[in-house]
Amino acid sequence: MELLRWDVIVSYLPLYRDAMFLTLRIGWAGIAAAIGLGFVCALIRHYRIPVLQNIVGIYIELFRNTPLLVQLFFLYFGLPKIGLEIPAEPCGVLGLALLGGAYMAETFRSGLEAVEPIQMESALSLGMTRQQAVLHIILPQAVSISVPAFVANVIFLLKETSVFSAISLMDLMFTAKDLIGLYYKTLECLTLLVFFYLIILLPVSALGSFLERRLRYAGFGD
Amino acid sequence: MKKNWIKKTGAAVLGLILTGSLLAGCGSGSGTTAQGADEPQAQETEAEAAGTEAADAAENENAGFRTLEEIQASGKITIGVFSDKSPFGYVDENGEYQGYDVYFGNRIAQDLGVELEYVSTEAASRIEYLQTGKVDIILANFTVTPERAEEVDFALPYMNVALGVVSHNDRVITDLSQITADDQVIVISGTTAETYLTKNNPEIKLQKFDTYAAAKSAFENGTGVSWANDNTEVIAFAAENEGYTVGIDSLGSADTIAPAVTKGNETLLNWLNDEIVKLGEEKFFHADYEATLTDTYGPEFEETLVVEGGQAAAPVQN
Repeated sequence: MELLRWDVIVSYLPLYRDAMFLTLRIGWAGIAAAIGLGFVCALIRHYRIPVLQNIVGIYIELFRNTPLLVQLFFLYFGLPKIGLEIPAEPCGVLGLALLGGAYMAETFRSGLEAVEPIQMESALSLGMTRQQAVLHIILPQAVSISVPAFVANVIFLLKETSVFSAISLMDLMFTAKDLIGLYYKTLECLTLLVFFYLIILLPVSALGSFLERRLRYAGFGD
Repeated sequence: MKKNWIKKTGAAVLGLILTGSLLAGCGSGSGTTAQGADEPQAQETEAEAAGTEAADAAENENAGFRTLEEIQASGKITIGVFSDKSPFGYVDENGEYQGYDVYFGNRIAQDLGVELEYVSTEAASRIEYLQTGKVDIILANFTVTPERAEEVDFALPYMNVALGVVSHNDRVITDLSQITADDQVIVISGTTAETYLTKNNPEIKLQKFDTYAAAKSAFENGTGVSWANDNTEVIAFAAENEGYTVGIDSLGSADTIAPAVTKGNETLLNWLNDEIVKLGEEKFFHADYEATLTDTYGPEFEETLVVEGGQAAAPVQN
């Protein structure tokens, strides 16, 4: 008996391709929103803006310490009970953005805090305004320091999309499970699943390594 | 730069090894894993998890399942049931498994004289649970179909079933042709309703959920114009919840529900068949219906649903 039925694999390819596009669509929209949200939250927390920093603190702890699955269930099945109905796809984007935002905020904040205070002091003593110092001295270094953790977050978030099946989104994981349930070609389905996740994630890893090398501004580089 | 190359090649090789070992089925600990048909490992994992003597399992040549003797020797049987499909297999408020399937499962363990462990399954993973030897029997309201019969062995039936479609009261679907291109029908991944609609009505847009609980919640929240599932399930749903009507109560062919064992597990299969015939003499499944299903269906569905002694009703099948 041959190990894999290639005709089966070929016939499933279009379904997996659609699922990959769904994963990518939701993944990138969610991650883009997460980056924006995380950046703002990190600045609020780092520069201790009153009231807002408390709200951001609660948000971060709430979303970092609950699983995405629980958040999605809440958004998709819970909110309609109080009259707020969000379709599945926006729900997935929102869930990913909120979870990712919390992680990204901590990543950027750790970057900001890793920049030595002397950098700010030096910039000010050279006659820069505070805004100039933050924009031209602090942020470039903070961002470059947080790149490795940032890339790890992106990969983590893309992999988290595999729980979307809970809210009926036909992502890669659900497509595989569904096809197994329909036709019982387990090995073919799981092989395709691994393959398609690698197609999505290997380029992200590679891009991450590239960014790390190119953006090594902080410190004296190598 | 040379050092970088070494690192990269090393990482690539490591990645390949990891992928390869995953495909080879080493991950038999997780819920859905590669098929373990020729993998004695799956057997061992199961035995350890069940807390039985690993020595028994190590001697076992039948990869993927335990024979009747092995089950009796280990003193424990593992049965896969639903935990969220009231009134057939569900967990009650005290954390106990209850329902029509469970009532039968309890009797199986009692007659085998072994301890019983229930494992909660999802519709789509029922076959994998058997193929990887994680359960000895599936009693999760498993409809007999030719496709499934190629993958597992079904014992004699103990219940009749067809498909049904339940809708919200404000727009009751009484024929599939009333479903427009804008409508979505809820199905549960891995059920016969999904297979039937995929095959016979590919034009209908399906919204798929992976658990009964999720499908129910979504339907209650107004997602989907209707919900297609086993007719027993949709009748029960409409009876237990306000505002729903079963517009189509019999769709597709009349099927039966039967226990399933891993393909080739003849000793256990034969024992189950004998047991079902024997239980017919004492009208066991009528008693089962009265204990578990009367609350939901009333007495009038008893003869329609119950299959006694493995004798399925006059073949209305097409």
